[in-house]
Amino acid sequence: MPRIINRFSLITAFLLTWLVLFGGCSRVDHKQSALDPKGLVSQNQYDIFMLSVWITIFLFCAVGGCLLFVLWKYRAKSKEESLEIPAQSHGNSKIEVTLILASTIILVILAIPTLQGVVLMNRVPDPNKTETLEKLGLDRSQIDGAITVNVTGKRFFWVFEYPQYGIVTANELVFPASKAVRVNLRTEDVIHSFWLPKLAGKMDLMPGQENFLWFIADKEKILSGESEADAMPAVFDGKMRQTVFAKQKFTDEFEPVGGLFYGQCAEYCGNSHAYMSFRALAQTDDDFDAWVELYQSSQNPNLQPATYNPETDYATGDTVLFPDDSLGEGATREYRALKEIAKGEAPNLSEQSWVKKHSDDYEIGKQLFSSLQCVQCHAVNRTGIGAKGPNLTLFGLRTSLAAGWMRNDEESLAKWLRNSNEVKYGNLMWNGEGIDDDHPLRNLENEDKVVDQLVQYLLGQI
Amino acid sequence: MSEAAALEHHEPVTSTGIPNKKVLMWAFLGSDCMFFGTLISTHLIYRKISATVGSNFLDIRDIFDIELTSFSTFILLASSLFMALAVSAIHKGNLNSTRWMLFGTIVFGVIFLACQVYEFTHFVNMEGNELTLSTYRGEPHVFGSTFYVLTGTHGTHVAIGVFWLLGWLVYSFTGKMSTADALDIECCGLYWHFVDIVWIIIFPVVYLMEYAF
Amino acid sequence: MAIESLKYVAPDTGVKTETKTFPRPGQHASGLVDWLTTIDHKKIGYMYGLSALFFLLVGGLEALLIRSQLWSHNMEVLTNRQYNQMFTMHGTTMVFLVIMPLSAAFFNFIMPLQIGARDVAFPRMNTLSLWCFIAGGITLNLSWFFTGGSPAIGWFGYAPLTDTRFAEVIGDMGPDFWVFSLQILGIASLLASFNFITTIINMRAPGMTMMRMPVFTWMTLIVSFLIILAFPAITVALAELMFDRTYGTNFFDFLEGGKPHLWQHLFWIFGHPEVYILILPAMGIVSEIIPVFSRKPLFGYGLIIFSGAIIGFMGFAVWSHHMFTTGMGVVATSAFSILTMLIAIPTGIKIFNWIGTMWGGRIRFDTPMLFALGFITMFMIGGFTGIMHSSVPIDAQHQDTYFVVAHFHYVLIGGALFGLFAGFYFWLPKMSGKLMNEKLGKLVFTLMFIGFNLTFFPMHYLGMIGQPRRTHSYNEGHGFETWNQIATIGSFILGVGIAIGVYQFLSSFFNKKLKAAGKNPWDARTLEWSLSSPVKEYNFSRTPIIKSRDQTWENNYGPRDKHSQKEPLDDHGIHMPDRSWCPLITAVGLFVMVLGMLFHQSIGPAGELVRNYTVAIGGGAVFVLGIILWSMEGPGGYHLFPKESEE
Repeated sequence: MPRIINRFSLITAFLLTWLVLFGGCSRVDHKQSALDPKGLVSQNQYDIFMLSVWITIFLFCAVGGCLLFVLWKYRAKSKEESLEIPAQSHGNSKIEVTLILASTIILVILAIPTLQGVVLMNRVPDPNKTETLEKLGLDRSQIDGAITVNVTGKRFFWVFEYPQYGIVTANELVFPASKAVRVNLRTEDVIHSFWLPKLAGKMDLMPGQENFLWFIADKEKILSGESEADAMPAVFDGKMRQTVFAKQKFTDEFEPVGGLFYGQCAEYCGNSHAYMSFRALAQTDDDFDAWVELYQSSQNPNLQPATYNPETDYATGDTVLFPDDSLGEGATREYRALKEIAKGEAPNLSEQSWVKKHSDDYEIGKQLFSSLQCVQCHAVNRTGIGAKGPNLTLFGLRTSLAAGWMRNDEESLAKWLRNSNEVKYGNLMWNGEGIDDDHPLRNLENEDKVVDQLVQYLLGQI
Repeated sequence: MSEAAALEHHEPVTSTGIPNKKVLMWAFLGSDCMFFGTLISTHLIYRKISATVGSNFLDIRDIFDIELTSFSTFILLASSLFMALAVSAIHKGNLNSTRWMLFGTIVFGVIFLACQVYEFTHFVNMEGNELTLSTYRGEPHVFGSTFYVLTGTHGTHVAIGVFWLLGWLVYSFTGKMSTADALDIECCGLYWHFVDIVWIIIFPVVYLMEYAF
Repeated sequence: MAIESLKYVAPDTGVKTETKTFPRPGQHASGLVDWLTTIDHKKIGYMYGLSALFFLLVGGLEALLIRSQLWSHNMEVLTNRQYNQMFTMHGTTMVFLVIMPLSAAFFNFIMPLQIGARDVAFPRMNTLSLWCFIAGGITLNLSWFFTGGSPAIGWFGYAPLTDTRFAEVIGDMGPDFWVFSLQILGIASLLASFNFITTIINMRAPGMTMMRMPVFTWMTLIVSFLIILAFPAITVALAELMFDRTYGTNFFDFLEGGKPHLWQHLFWIFGHPEVYILILPAMGIVSEIIPVFSRKPLFGYGLIIFSGAIIGFMGFAVWSHHMFTTGMGVVATSAFSILTMLIAIPTGIKIFNWIGTMWGGRIRFDTPMLFALGFITMFMIGGFTGIMHSSVPIDAQHQDTYFVVAHFHYVLIGGALFGLFAGFYFWLPKMSGKLMNEKLGKLVFTLMFIGFNLTFFPMHYLGMIGQPRRTHSYNEGHGFETWNQIATIGSFILGVGIAIGVYQFLSSFFNKKLKAAGKNPWDARTLEWSLSSPVKEYNFSRTPIIKSRDQTWENNYGPRDKHSQKEPLDDHGIHMPDRSWCPLITAVGLFVMVLGMLFHQSIGPAGELVRNYTVAIGGGAVFVLGIILWSMEGPGGYHLFPKESEE
């Protein structure tokens, strides 16, 4: 008998240990935690999950307790008892039917919110149905002002297109915290899955099919009492990047940054599937508009700096391209007007009127970006062209590199450029079509200067 | 060895009274139903979307030769009749009749196969409307994939049936054939009828439906 | 039937009684020839079990490598491709080469004994199924040595990742090996299932009605039906994939009109019944063990069987719950969600009934019972998380995270493997004739139980805080490290437990110090326990006439009118069929044919694709030859005259 007591106390101790351990790790706000919902849809998913957790804990205790009781009560206490023959009963249909009914009722309790949840996940609420909106605690303007993002998955990064604004970015989804976001999901190669745990759950990107998912952040939860500027740093002026760098050294235990959400590809898609993550950055309405405006002007071909024209007047802050042979034969560089400039005052004539916009390294990096064939796959300051790789417009504002895998600083970027295959084995920048050992990209290992110039250029995209 | 003992070795008394081999055959046919069910569903799923893939609009009626297929369908159905007669003959112990009926089944099966071979080569080489495993008019297309794999799998079943029947035909000349073999021939017959029934489903679903909807 | 008895030979002379067209190895074959040509369901069961245990160690080693890689962030034990190959091979091995054949080992060994049969209905076909299984296992693991190494496509092989267009190694052969090995394994499973169905339907002893059959036999029947109805779907899917990869068809190529969605549907129409194919045998085993160690009949026998059948039937109606996140729309996801919840009811019934069985019993805690109890509790946890996943909104977070990994390992290790280990501890005395060391058995249970929970319970939490499945690495700062380290430690404990268990199983056949088991060491209830341990070649010297459900128990304790009787021994003795080479020849032919298909493509001197089918056709010829010889070799056989006491 003592042996049996031992066994039960062992099991009980074991279960208790688990409870204590899990009580101990009460922190649930990890980067990708589904236990820390910050949006309407994910909150709904979380609520149903917790309902199911309580139901199953209840059932586990009831059934498990019953099992323990039976094992305890009817154990054979001695050798003699283990040879006894108990009554040979074969069943009891009343008990069976009762238990079947009880389990059905429990399932119904779970089924109802499930069905409601399915509808909520798949359909943005109709703005005309005030009743629904009220129930969800939404304001009509939040739905009316919804933004749309077309997501395209590629091995192993994400393209985010904003059709309303005509802009394309990659790997970091900037969105207004107070508006609903409709996400259309497509893929150009294999299946991926767009998973944004704190905001939306996940939906697969199926080849040859467009899938849909939506989410809306809960601004109050993001702010959690702080002021907007502190809790949701702006992206467009680089505050977000600074805050993330200051708060989250990559090696440290995680310290949350308001408005920064982590996402991940959740469907196995090949060699570097693990590295296919992304980020979503919530913004106040004003900051979002500012970001959109900055992005639009960066990607607008009509607003790119033109070659200096002696027949034109220039206003303060205007930028022109002007030849600078110090950078190489036939090279040009960007000059910014310091004041209003009359016709004919070319940048090489007056250092008081024009200033070099970028360092020499930046300008050389810019040339290298073309000459090393980076432009074959990456578009900077334009959409569409070179769509094979991530769009690098305003790259210097991004917080992460290599699809959310590394911190976007000089060191990481240099490491990435030297040998991206070492960082992210199987990535297309190293292994894509037409890239072999002769390709300049694969020969940057020891080219410190070149790498540095490229880094200057890329991080200078702000 | 006495016939009774031989019988005992061949067909032990079973719980249900149905011979083991027959139960096996029915279980196999049940499984094969799911097999063809899956193939036919694949074809049906792709049938609608396949018309819109690529720049060429595919009207399958341009390719099909419905008269030929109707003829081969009739032939296959007729072969089932021969098969039934063969089984009935062997049960009665009429060896001569069994032999002829088996022969008839084989001939009709071979005619069906010949029609299918002709059909396939004809479709692949059809001037201006070439339908191959992966292309239609030289462009990627999925109709060829589902069509050839489905009907080809059925054809393979028919071919296996023909070889099986050929085996029996050869055996019938060894002089060993007797009513003791009736069960085995009946199982062969079950298979043959099943393959026919599958064609009775494939013919309307793959061919006739293109003319209806 | 007692006619012409003089024609039959005297006991054990081994003289053949019948002429044969083609000679078969006879009664006195021994050594390797015996094992290669045997058609005895017990020996086939041993071989199934032995090879499955071997693959269990292989798959376990792969699992330990996976766990080592996940010890901490950015580990480099494996490269990402190696890791992806590991989880693909681990999954495929464990499902097709471990759990299914382990179940098949018990089906083979136990089921004929439980229904009072001398062998299965088609003994040679049974042998063929064994060799096909081994050929499939070899084919799958051969992939390590050829271009691209093993497949890195996941055990589910989702299109279009399997398409040559997206191969990450040029000329990657991994998926081809995967496709062909699964096809052969499918043939093996189908052949075995046809055989078991026929055996159970047709070869029951007199009086063994369907409602007197032991639950394990019932589960064998249900699983066999599931296999014959579910495997065609994956056979077709794999064939289509093979055509896509080899002949350029467009079934799953979305750029040329195919639909990758279709693969998922076909795969899961097979894949979900497959889940029940894996778990129902273990449920059957547990349903045998609990009554024995409670000394009571199974509570609600009819309901347990009915719920098993319902689970099997509904298994075909819920496949899309694996695809909730693929964008099937509101209606389809809701419908599949509700159907999936419903399946919890018959599963719950089983658990209620097991507890009901123990109620009022005299419960002994021997090793088989401990594993059975482990099964109930662990399976319960797996079932509960399963109910969570049936809810679409929850699944939207859980799908493809470690939560799901935890869920199905609770079902497949805590469920299926614990059940099968329970079966080993329960029935091995019947197979080897020796009792195993209880203390060692309990040590194995403790190690496995603790190791298993340490490994997989934290994964629930890991999944919830965002660790995705099938990722070879994770970044710093996610907070995954601690729990992954606990899981890795647990996995090694589990590994040690399993290794000791496997050692104990094998050594029970060779260890001379173990005590003899006797006919019925557990005072068990079903028919197989009325036979000697180990069971004689002919199983039953005289076919029993069954009078009740728990026949051995009734014989020992029941009223007289429920005692079984025996059919008179025919005066020509027991007819035993001869051994045969044909199944082996057929399987070798199939194996060569598959190798021929795998390597039929090569690049010619001008860079063009050359197809050479010589080897494949040669293998096919051997395959056909095997079948022809098979049909020609005739019944053959010899007769045994056991003494009444030898049973």
